[in-house]
Amino acid sequence: MFFHIVLERNMQLHPRFFGRNLRENLVSKLMKDVEGTCSGRHGFVVAITGIESIGKGLIRDGTGFVTFPVKYQCVVFRPFKGEILEAVVTLVNKMGFFAEAGPVQIFVSKHLIPDDMEFQAGDMPNYTTSDGSVKIQKECEVRLKIIGTRVDATEIFCVGTIKDDFLGVINDPEAA
Amino acid sequence: MSEKGGKGFKSSLKSKSGKDDSSTKPKKTGKVHFDHNLGKSESRFKVLQGSDDNFQGFSASKESKGGKGSNKAKKSSVSKDSQPLELKTEKELPENAKCLMDCEAFQILQGIKEQITVLSEDPTIKIPVPFDRGLEYLKYGSCYMNPQSVRQILDPLKKHGVSEGEMCVIANVCPESTDEVFAFVPSIKGRKDKINQPLEEALAKLSKIKKST
Repeated sequence: MFFHIVLERNMQLHPRFFGRNLRENLVSKLMKDVEGTCSGRHGFVVAITGIESIGKGLIRDGTGFVTFPVKYQCVVFRPFKGEILEAVVTLVNKMGFFAEAGPVQIFVSKHLIPDDMEFQAGDMPNYTTSDGSVKIQKECEVRLKIIGTRVDATEIFCVGTIKDDFLGVINDPEAA
Repeated sequence: MSEKGGKGFKSSLKSKSGKDDSSTKPKKTGKVHFDHNLGKSESRFKVLQGSDDNFQGFSASKESKGGKGSNKAKKSSVSKDSQPLELKTEKELPENAKCLMDCEAFQILQGIKEQITVLSEDPTIKIPVPFDRGLEYLKYGSCYMNPQSVRQILDPLKKHGVSEGEMCVIANVCPESTDEVFAFVPSIKGRKDKINQPLEEALAKLSKIKKST
């Protein structure tokens, strides 16, 4: 789910950037450093929407760098347990399938796929029901529920299920 | 209900430390285990719902009980219950975190993208990958064009105790029926009788403004 939050960060600026454009330099450095990163606490920082305040700079002893505490608003994407997401399938194998929802990767294990769906190997591996009415393959859209999250250095990885009510493949005519 | 939320709480704590045990234990266990385990910390949990001051204490007591049992519970209602609660009391997000509906987030990101394309004469400005992916996800995922109208339609539900986070979940799911809403947001199941009628009206209005794909 997307959130709009205020975060604070201490930005270090080299003296070469001082001058009339100090603020602009600070802001562009913040954007370069922060946008696109991921932390376990806040999730993916998708975009910075504004700067709330820039505090007084503190000169660091010995180096001449100045540290500015910057408060900024940003849009973050953080998946939660129990959240319902619509994801696009990227890989199908006999252990389950991988799907992507925004910047986050989700794995749905075979055990969390309804029992009546079997893995079919081939050029286009897929999971199909016994009567062939429902098929999960690459590029398919599925609605799934997150049941767990794991945070790496630069990304969040989730585990999901489609075994509950109202979950599974989304058919185009009935797109929610 | 609060007990279930507590469980979810615990699990979210685990995920904060980088590894989520529950993801490796997909088996569902009975709710009974939960209730027994949580008896002692019930009162603490109630306080937690209002603030996160006691969060540390709570987690310590939970951990001492042997978190494995608590993490095992995969009962869908438990984890779903915890989700709206997590939005309010999740320690990881600052208290001023505002949930965004997918359509709102789409508008914001679209605006930013337009600004970036204007500024793109500077070769050092690159559009980060999560931004692109997020925007793409929202373009196809969000089913309403106008977030203000969605808010107007869902605001009356606040009178019936639906929280901001729950509203966002409902809007993001684009439900076709009240059954879907109760399945995905079980924390409002308790108020089913009171909320069923206003929810049905809201869903009827939402289906009119749904984006045609």
